[in-house]
Amino acid sequence: MSFKVVKSGFLTTVQDYGRLSHGKHGMSQSGVMDEHAYCWGNHLLNNHFNDATVEITFGGVELETQIDTFIAVTGADLNFKINNRPVQMWHGIRVFKGDVLSWGNPKKGIRAYLAVKGGFNTSVLFDSRSVNLRENIGNKLCDGDQLPCVGHDEEVYQFIPPKYIPNYSQDITLRLLPSYQFNEFSINQRDLFFNQTYTITNANDRTGCRLSGAPIVIKKERMISEGISYGSVEIATDGLPIILLKDAPSIGGYPKIGTVFSLDLAKLAQRQPNSKLRFELISIRDAQKERKKFNDFFEIGF
Amino acid sequence: MPNIVSAGENSILIYFGDKIDASLPKNIANFANQLKNEMGGVVINLIPSYTSLHVSYDLNVIDYQDFVNQVEQCLKQNQNTASALESKTIRIPVYYGLEVGLDLERLLQEKNLDLDAFINVHSSKEYLVYAIGFSPVFAFLGEVDERIQLPRLNTPRIKIPAGSVGIAESQTAIYPSDSSGGWNIVGRTPIDLSLNNLENIDKFNVGNQVKFDPISRDEYLSSGGKL
Repeated sequence: MSFKVVKSGFLTTVQDYGRLSHGKHGMSQSGVMDEHAYCWGNHLLNNHFNDATVEITFGGVELETQIDTFIAVTGADLNFKINNRPVQMWHGIRVFKGDVLSWGNPKKGIRAYLAVKGGFNTSVLFDSRSVNLRENIGNKLCDGDQLPCVGHDEEVYQFIPPKYIPNYSQDITLRLLPSYQFNEFSINQRDLFFNQTYTITNANDRTGCRLSGAPIVIKKERMISEGISYGSVEIATDGLPIILLKDAPSIGGYPKIGTVFSLDLAKLAQRQPNSKLRFELISIRDAQKERKKFNDFFEIGF
Repeated sequence: MPNIVSAGENSILIYFGDKIDASLPKNIANFANQLKNEMGGVVINLIPSYTSLHVSYDLNVIDYQDFVNQVEQCLKQNQNTASALESKTIRIPVYYGLEVGLDLERLLQEKNLDLDAFINVHSSKEYLVYAIGFSPVFAFLGEVDERIQLPRLNTPRIKIPAGSVGIAESQTAIYPSDSSGGWNIVGRTPIDLSLNNLENIDKFNVGNQVKFDPISRDEYLSSGGKL
């Protein structure tokens, strides 16, 4: 009862909502990079919000279905096909034993999510199925691996209204919550940060996203290490921002100008190197209101 | 009264001081336990470190201002019950040998010490766990005696073997698994601190004490140590 990995691709890992409560053990949050696409995948199948999916980065993947069940593929357009025929994404689909699912090269976005009815039942480590390669927790998929899951025949043919399917080619503006050392940056430093267009560099992975642009001159280069939030924006010694993401270390010692609103990080997760982005401020009230609406819709609760 | 700042849409940082101070980690760990007991329903994650406690909460059930108000209430009670945490000392056997202490020879030369004197300085002290981070089970221990302090390597090593004991400035630590890193390696423990043993997750906690016990090459090898 599983999916067999025929071709494992560039970087393909099992991810769920994350390993949320092990900060005191020095563990990253881990979990899916694009919460928007991931949550829709599970939602379309009437899954639990924390059901494990396969996060496919840049494609090159082929899986063989060894079970009759339902799936949904969301996120990046990586040329998804079943038995060599293009298939609609963001849609509940029935698959049968022997079907071959494949993802080619990225057309739009970087990361696609394969959700299966009931979720993938890989092993739970420290309360999560999320793989974290930096921490040696789990492994990326290898050719020949089996992805266990249970067969289902509940008909789930739901799809999402097209207006909610994001356009991953658009430039983005990341909304930043003033937090951490925000007040220790001068007006001039903040102006430089908010009034420029940054470029995403090649140093862009599950740990963090390094930006290039005009450097901010900073006086305090290092500080006493402190706990890191998902989306914290460090200003490194070279004066350029690094946005810390799901696999970032739990503590860090660079000054941070603020924290990016989580739903904007979902958009960032689909941007290729050389994409442009800007920052603008968001209040904590607005951020909490928008996130709560998202959590209510996808029934995310703790 | 500790200072509270926002750390994002669902988290705050509580600063208990602005300088590294041996009295803080126990107090911070103690307060983290208190928060978990009293606000367990809304607290999701706690990250204690040197001078601060990072707290994530469930924004579905409580907003920023209400959460900060409740934390402040807890902080007022905490000031009356400080240092309730019992201290625990974890003993780690270490073989201080040139085959495993990759930087030991250079350190002895630079510091003009013989091996026994170095071992005595490094192992006679009980160290305090100031923070866990960098990777799981990696405990930042302090303070290292000034006689054996060294800055990090200019170029970090690609691979440091699991169990290696390192020094960086006033801190010392054990690498729980093979990893890259720039600390000066002075010895190695034969015991497995990696997450291959799931129980190691709770091996060190902020506020604990750690004591290194020097062992001989034979003891190291017979305890499963590798060269």
